[in-house]
Amino acid sequence: MNPAPSNRKSGVSIAVIDYNAGNIASVGNALRKLGFEYTITKDPKEILAADKVIFPGQGRAAAAMDDLRASGLDKVIREIKKPFLGICLGLQLLFESSEEDDAQCLGIIEGRVKRFNEPDLKIPQMGWNIISIVQNDPLISGIPDKAYVYFANSYYGAGDNYALATSVYGSTESGAIIRKDNFYGTQFHPEKSGEWGMKILDNFCRL
Amino acid sequence: MIIIPAIDILDGQCVRLKRGEFSDKKIYSTDPVAVAKEWERQGAQMLHIVDLDGAKTGVPRNTEVIRKIAQTVRIPIEVGGGIRSGKIAREYLEFARRIVLGTKALEDPLLIKNLVKDFGSERIVVALELKDGKLTVEGWQKTSAKDYKEFAAELKKIGVKNILFTDVQRDGTLTEPNYDIALALAVAGARVISSGGVSSTEAIRKLKDLGVDAAIVGTALYEGTLTLADALKAAGSSQLTKRIIPCLDVTGGKVVKGVSFENLQIVGDPVALGKKYSDEGADELVFLDISASKDERETLYDVVAAVAREVFIPFTVGGGIGSVDQMRKLLQLGADKISINTAAIKNPALITEASRAFGEQCVVVAIDAKKKGDSYKVFLKGGTVETELDAVQWAKEAEKKGAGEILLTSMDKDGTRSGYDIELLRQVSDAVRIPVIASGGAGSMEDMKAACIEGKADAVLVASLLHYGELTIPQVKKYLSEHGIAMRI
Repeated sequence: MNPAPSNRKSGVSIAVIDYNAGNIASVGNALRKLGFEYTITKDPKEILAADKVIFPGQGRAAAAMDDLRASGLDKVIREIKKPFLGICLGLQLLFESSEEDDAQCLGIIEGRVKRFNEPDLKIPQMGWNIISIVQNDPLISGIPDKAYVYFANSYYGAGDNYALATSVYGSTESGAIIRKDNFYGTQFHPEKSGEWGMKILDNFCRL
Repeated sequence: MIIIPAIDILDGQCVRLKRGEFSDKKIYSTDPVAVAKEWERQGAQMLHIVDLDGAKTGVPRNTEVIRKIAQTVRIPIEVGGGIRSGKIAREYLEFARRIVLGTKALEDPLLIKNLVKDFGSERIVVALELKDGKLTVEGWQKTSAKDYKEFAAELKKIGVKNILFTDVQRDGTLTEPNYDIALALAVAGARVISSGGVSSTEAIRKLKDLGVDAAIVGTALYEGTLTLADALKAAGSSQLTKRIIPCLDVTGGKVVKGVSFENLQIVGDPVALGKKYSDEGADELVFLDISASKDERETLYDVVAAVAREVFIPFTVGGGIGSVDQMRKLLQLGADKISINTAAIKNPALITEASRAFGEQCVVVAIDAKKKGDSYKVFLKGGTVETELDAVQWAKEAEKKGAGEILLTSMDKDGTRSGYDIELLRQVSDAVRIPVIASGGAGSMEDMKAACIEGKADAVLVASLLHYGELTIPQVKKYLSEHGIAMRI
């Protein structure tokens, strides 16, 4: 996808939270491609002042939470009032807790993140799966129902009441895109999901 | 279990009959092609198409519209109704994944036997249409004296695997399937396709538990009492696709033909090639650093950064990576997964360390295996150095240590184009619960299909076939999709 030059927006300040997640570079590359400027930061002031906050996630729940607590970012994130997007582990950490290392998470969304657990099911879910849109939202404007996006996860959050889109792995349905107030999360990696993933990131930056 | 929406065509229109009675029909659409497209869009993995005129009169009458459906949708179709000669069967098999024979199978077992022999048991389905436990013929209008269990046993003998059974009295009635018959057939060893009365998620779950292979859903979908999404969910039809992964051997910043370390030829620029494959629909990319010298190796970092800036699908980097620090650096430059091979064998704790640091989905363990006697041994350095490790055991060990995926290369097959090593793939796939990528030996699309189905691979790695332009990714995906393998198209 090659956005036209008119897409270039420098007026939006985007903060990408820096907490040792593996996919920060990929998120940054995607934003750059879309023509948005961004800062990778762990400075609470900068994060709270940003128009949009992206919380990439790749790694393990407990280690990520330790990292956030050590820098006080756990409290900062809860205070964010601007649009916030958690990606993959970034979505999972929005929940109260996770079965992964029995981690206590941010508690912004009720419920516990669980591990896929079905006989004969390959774990992690690794690859392209379809999302079913259950509720319209500006974040997914222009995204077709049943679009393929890239997942790489062993754990999932149900996100029942907050799902904008769901996906099914094995026979488990879970939240693929969730939203509670200003907090959005995608279980898949929009920065690695080709055209539709880029569209979702673009939508987010324009919320 | 898969869910197959039914499209019954009478006089060119999409209809449903109640209990097989032609007098009790309801027209749902005058455009069966549009209906087929809609089921595909909603996630159907296959379509069940019946020429009702053909079933009634014994002569196909809706062939053209069915052919049009096959040409329009990307998912496979199975066709039935009026297939009463080898000639018609062959005509349909030109565009249908499977054909369904009912009446004819009762009269002419030899025809069925020959079709199975010529086209393979996968492509032939025999329909048992039962009314009061008796087989019916001629569009369900007459019954036969033959017992269905006896008939099923005869079919098994002539090589028929797929049995579609319809409880005629329940068809189109939104009641329940006949579980007893489904179970009896499944127990007898058939791959059972259940049809008639499949109208709720409970029914689908129950059929799945009985070991039924597929359920055909018709009236419930058309009446809207069951949505296809709910049906798919209940069937546990994971919609995760198999992946086609081009593999690029990189040295000195260029992609090379990596058949051997000698006479390397430059194939192209990694960014341009990565982008090309990504645009063509590659599901992922693998970059393998085959550098012989340290200077060449340093350029790997530039390659990774350059690719990451332009390619927005996942990509894995491997080749000579030996430490968590190196892995971190590559991830920070934009790689998504790291493949480790020799270093993991020398120090298995590295797998655990990496998995803890970056998550298991980041850690790919590459295994190069060669057959030795009855088992497969792990080799190092491009298959030149043998280890004591058994490949299957090592895959299990790697999983236990925290690997998120296995990249499995058959050294016997690599470069031969004689097909992936199915036995190796299957042994490893059965032994681990993490995804397995098939590598080494791809010579055709049939090979990729075999790797996915018989080898149970989750992804196939392809190199020279794509680099030399012998096959394209859309071509491969279309083929695999037509053969019932879930693809992102």
